[in-house]
Amino acid sequence: MADEEDEVETVFIMATVKINGKEITVEDGTLILDAARQAGFEIPTFCYQARLSGLGSCRMCLVEIAGQKKLQPSCVTPVLHGMDVFTENETVKSARASMLEFLLANHPLDCPTCDKGGECELQNFVFKSGPRQSGFSEWKRRFHDKDKILSPVIVKNHNRCIHCERCVRICDEVVGAKALGGIGRGVMIQSTGFMDDRLDCDHCGNCIEVCPVGSFMSLPYRYKARPWDLKEVDTVCPYCATGCQITIGIRNGEVVRVKSRINTGINKETLCARGRFGYHFIQSRDRITKPMVKKDGKLAECSWDEALSVIKQMFGSGRRTAGIASARYTNEELFVFQKLVREVFKTNNIDLDSRFANKWVTSAMIDACSLAAGGIPIFDALKADLIFIIGSAVSDENPVTDYLIRTAASDRRKTLIIAHPRRMKLDSSSAISLRYKPGTEGEVIKGIADFIENGGESTSDINAAAARFKNASNITMFLGAEILRLANGVDVLTGIAALKALLKRSGKNIKCLPLFDRCNQRGARAMGIHPLFLPGLKKVKEDGMDCGEMLDAAKKGEIDSLYVLGEDIVSMHPDARFAREALSNIKFKVVQDTFLTETAKIADVILPGASYAEKDGTFTNQEGRVQRLRKVISPVGDSKDDLDILCSIGGFAYKSAREVFEKIKKEVAGYKDISFEELDGNGAIVTGHGRQSLSLKGTVPLLSGSDNSGQQSIKEDKEYPFLLITGNHLFHSGRLSQRADILMQLLPEPFVEISEDDARESGIVDGEKVVVKGNGYEAAMKLRIAKGSQKGVAFVPENFDSVSVNMFYKKGEGIPRVKIVKLP
Amino acid sequence: MFEPILLKNINTHDSHRIDVYLKNGGYQALAAALKMQPDGIIQTVKDSGLRGRGGAGFPTGLKWSFIPKDPTIPKYLCCNADEGEPGTFKDRVIIEKDPHQLIEGMIITCCAIGAKVAYIYIRGEFVFGAERLKTAIDEAYQKGYLGKNILGSNFNCDIYIHKGAGAYICGEETALLESIEGRRGRPRIKPPFPALAGLYAKPTVINNVETLSCISHIVNRGAKWFASIGPEKSPGPKLFGVSGHVNKPGMYELPMGTTAREIIYNHAGGIRDSRKLKAFIPGGVSAPMLTERDLDTPMDFDSLAAKGTMLGSGGIIVMDETACIVKVAMRTMGFFRHESCGKCTPCREGTDWTYKVLQRIERGEGKEGDVELLEKLCGNIFGRTFCPLGDGAVMALRGALKHFRDEFAYHVKNKRCMG
Ligand SMILES: Cc1cc2nc3c(=O)[nH]c(=O)nc-3n(C[C@H](O)[C@H](O)[C@H](O)COP(=O)(O)O)c2cc1C
Ligand code: SF4
Ligand code: SF4
Ligand code: SF4
Ligand code: SF4
Ligand code: FES
Repeated sequence: MADEEDEVETVFIMATVKINGKEITVEDGTLILDAARQAGFEIPTFCYQARLSGLGSCRMCLVEIAGQKKLQPSCVTPVLHGMDVFTENETVKSARASMLEFLLANHPLDCPTCDKGGECELQNFVFKSGPRQSGFSEWKRRFHDKDKILSPVIVKNHNRCIHCERCVRICDEVVGAKALGGIGRGVMIQSTGFMDDRLDCDHCGNCIEVCPVGSFMSLPYRYKARPWDLKEVDTVCPYCATGCQITIGIRNGEVVRVKSRINTGINKETLCARGRFGYHFIQSRDRITKPMVKKDGKLAECSWDEALSVIKQMFGSGRRTAGIASARYTNEELFVFQKLVREVFKTNNIDLDSRFANKWVTSAMIDACSLAAGGIPIFDALKADLIFIIGSAVSDENPVTDYLIRTAASDRRKTLIIAHPRRMKLDSSSAISLRYKPGTEGEVIKGIADFIENGGESTSDINAAAARFKNASNITMFLGAEILRLANGVDVLTGIAALKALLKRSGKNIKCLPLFDRCNQRGARAMGIHPLFLPGLKKVKEDGMDCGEMLDAAKKGEIDSLYVLGEDIVSMHPDARFAREALSNIKFKVVQDTFLTETAKIADVILPGASYAEKDGTFTNQEGRVQRLRKVISPVGDSKDDLDILCSIGGFAYKSAREVFEKIKKEVAGYKDISFEELDGNGAIVTGHGRQSLSLKGTVPLLSGSDNSGQQSIKEDKEYPFLLITGNHLFHSGRLSQRADILMQLLPEPFVEISEDDARESGIVDGEKVVVKGNGYEAAMKLRIAKGSQKGVAFVPENFDSVSVNMFYKKGEGIPRVKIVKLP
Repeated sequence: MFEPILLKNINTHDSHRIDVYLKNGGYQALAAALKMQPDGIIQTVKDSGLRGRGGAGFPTGLKWSFIPKDPTIPKYLCCNADEGEPGTFKDRVIIEKDPHQLIEGMIITCCAIGAKVAYIYIRGEFVFGAERLKTAIDEAYQKGYLGKNILGSNFNCDIYIHKGAGAYICGEETALLESIEGRRGRPRIKPPFPALAGLYAKPTVINNVETLSCISHIVNRGAKWFASIGPEKSPGPKLFGVSGHVNKPGMYELPMGTTAREIIYNHAGGIRDSRKLKAFIPGGVSAPMLTERDLDTPMDFDSLAAKGTMLGSGGIIVMDETACIVKVAMRTMGFFRHESCGKCTPCREGTDWTYKVLQRIERGEGKEGDVELLEKLCGNIFGRTFCPLGDGAVMALRGALKHFRDEFAYHVKNKRCMG
């Protein structure tokens, strides 16, 4: 474990109870249901769900307690020392059967046409303990004949609802969307959105996941398969670095659904819209399935042999060649990629796309979060009494992390403080939400540190936050990837390190976790995708160039060839024009990817790789949890497993991801105890790479020394009043999600979001079409108003080819300024 | 002749106005209570033997004594004026005719339990009553009985009116709290009990209008006096609302423990058209019905409980021999089916199913085994619901089945009424 050691020991009072005559000792306050399960007795439940508040409404779990007249709901009744509980006697069994009989009374029993048939909890319980016949011969309550389509992902059948309200509670308590509630009462009650409206919700589908019956159903999966026809494989979500476990179901070779499992992964039953519905890119018709080489200025399909042989020209090119990878590739692929670049191309010019970040900031981040010291399970981190988030619109960027933080923060003894310019869903759980202008993160940190050290009177939010820091004893900080985008990111991270040291001096336990937006961002660095570090974060002898430096060098004609593994530099690099220009100066460019990205379009060789569903390997999430990716289908068309491609180019003899992993274990200390074979739904947390910090102190140049810095442009500018920030939208991730049909239905085009005050001043209303102008670029989009966001800040999601946000950026000028004008 | 206590003012002109109330000795109990120790007030109420008039008959002083004494924790009083039980109309009379009696009782209660804020949760249909209360509360503020530093005592108290939106379940105390907090009116899990975590998770007392209206009289005339009225275990005056097939339906204030015979025949003028009494419901439709044989039962909590029914709200519904008990049972179940909040399985599905069966029998489509089916359904609901509403539904039907099983059987067999 990383930063801190001594956890506070909690002493539990124990209670001894008898369950069906069997004595068991459990923590006082344990629910009878859990105690019974521990004693080996299963009690059926509908409304109970471990992470939700107790409802006690379905009455399936009634048990008899000696001395009590009435049966009691075991899911909300804690044990008392000396209790004598019966869970299987005749009274209990007949009560159980009668509840099922009641639930079936108005149930349509249209199992043959119900998507849930075969994995329905009602069916299963009736099979197990249900009445074998029913005395019900009345007309059934019926809300509608046809199922209701509530949203692009939800189809609802109210007739089948058994009113457990797991959907309502997960939406409210975990997702925080509060899109569902009860309408009507008695037997006419419906759990749904207001007036069955097309739901304005997060489209996470968690209501579908938790619904025990076929009432909330997935529209994309509708009538696609019967559960027993599915082949299901457990793997990991390819989007953000929360690293949710997912289960992909295929039928006749087609991916038909993604679901989550209640006992698997940190996400358990939850996912976000991207994870659950963002799978259509896998078998998209736009996948590139044939290798291509440029002939006479045009890309033409060719054989694998031909494509691979032309790449030989990069061998041994040294400093005039470079490699850029995406953090969406597996540890094994990235490890082999850096081997290829370092050992075969003979250069340390290797980096992630590092959209906005130079090598010093990324190093400082590794240091600030002590990534070299090993992983921290998020549930340990969330035990803190103060949780501080800075630099991430976490509700958008890492939705399931947002759920976990919301759940933790619902404990009134905990304090959540969020620092971000934009309003976000998680604000409703925070004690204090600090707003600031982008670029002034350092001042926020300094303000907190100053108050802690020197005290003060002012009633500002920052001081109020600082006072909370002072009162806390266990603090967890989440540092978002946005800090990496700041020209003064090193300063901010140095400030955070100083704050951590200050807090530690006053005896507090500090944990620090990164919030990354790419699934394997953490693993990629550990695998040596960094110009300064070899695998295991070992310092290189001769520094390589980072992504920005490579492009600078290319502009000057100092780079001859470039190998791009799955990254779209043209679309993501801040200053699109410069990136395109610099890349076109490179004579030979190889792009290995799954789609014809803007960058692939200007490549000389295109190698069609595989999606996450077509390969084995591991990802390391932001906690430092290594999880198994499992192959679900074979690579589409003539495309190939990426590991195979890299190995055949480099002439490496690895036959499988597992073999590469064995090699990684030898080179990357933190992975040495992990068994590839044994990685299950919980993954394994990496240990330290043998040192606490990178000891870069002195080598990391601060602002003044760093090359592409330039002071942040936070001067006022009347003509361009908004500072533009960007990032991922809740439904999108990089440019990959554009290829997922459903995600595109949920949000097909970008928008610009500004604060309510700004909107009022400019006289623009929500939903109005506006033009965003800046840096000689302009784009039309809809305006969205965010009540409570920082004034003078505009946000545009970076996920769309239709509006390339990076066009607003100018190299070296930091955060861009834009103006927003109404369409006439 | 029993001299009315709670209803003593209602026939005075403008009895709802504060000056009339003051002329008749109003707010003197408040002045006296403000000079007492809060614990002293609680003890007095305990000694009086007052039991809650909302239905369950819980000892009021004991309920108040559960409230934590810590002065730093805010506490609340909620007056239950939802009066949703069919056959019940007693609270309405107090609210419309003598609202200050209730308000004075509430301020004294606040003083006793250390609450500074009280709510009156009033049934939405009581539009007129709510207006009367509003005016009365305004008057009380003007005269300094509400607001800051009441009668120079340093005690502050505010009362707010919260109107219900038409759900019987909101009379159940925890559903009432949910409703005041702005959520759907549905019962909460107990524990925690409201005395520890009620409104806004703070210690809360919930009392019925009639209960609270007794308080000023207890303070004025003493616990002993109150305890001397009616039976030892449930003393005090009681409002009996008589409706149905009687000559003089109406509101009668009598000592607790007066027999049903006396109420129905002496006060309510006997059965209309000199018919025979078939059945009577002693305390709102949740209370199982009784028959002629039970007319001499004293109407108090314990005596009625001994008969397998309850005093409930004291709303007596009288039925003569023309009433079809199957229809009565069907209508009653229809009420519970309609008012079930839908949270728990046995009540939601059970009331629906039972209602459908009763409807069928009533329509002449009964089938052999239907009576047994009804009994089975009652057994599957009773004692297994989340809150007492479901139990109430079953008790009502079981009462009818107990005394009139033959009539149900006849209906099933002959497809029509017995009469
Ligand atoms: C379904 C249901 C409806 C109720 N309706 C009322 C009501 O309308 N008025 C009322 O005073 N009590 C009602 N009660 C009783 C209350 O829950 C509570 O016991 C009472 O208000 C307590 O006041 P008391 O102690 O003064 O009797 C109802 C209870 C249930 C279960
Ligand atoms: S999809 Fe998600 S946000 Fe929408 S209603 Fe369901 S749980 Fe709530
Ligand atoms: S829709 Fe499903 S999850 Fe929601 S209440 Fe009904 S059965 Fe439960
Ligand atoms: S995008 Fe992130 S939060 Fe959403 S399912 Fe995937 S890993 Fe989980
Ligand atoms: S018994 Fe159940 S369904 Fe009926 S009102 Fe109470 S909680 Fe609601
Ligand atoms: S699982 Fe316990 S009442 Fe529903």
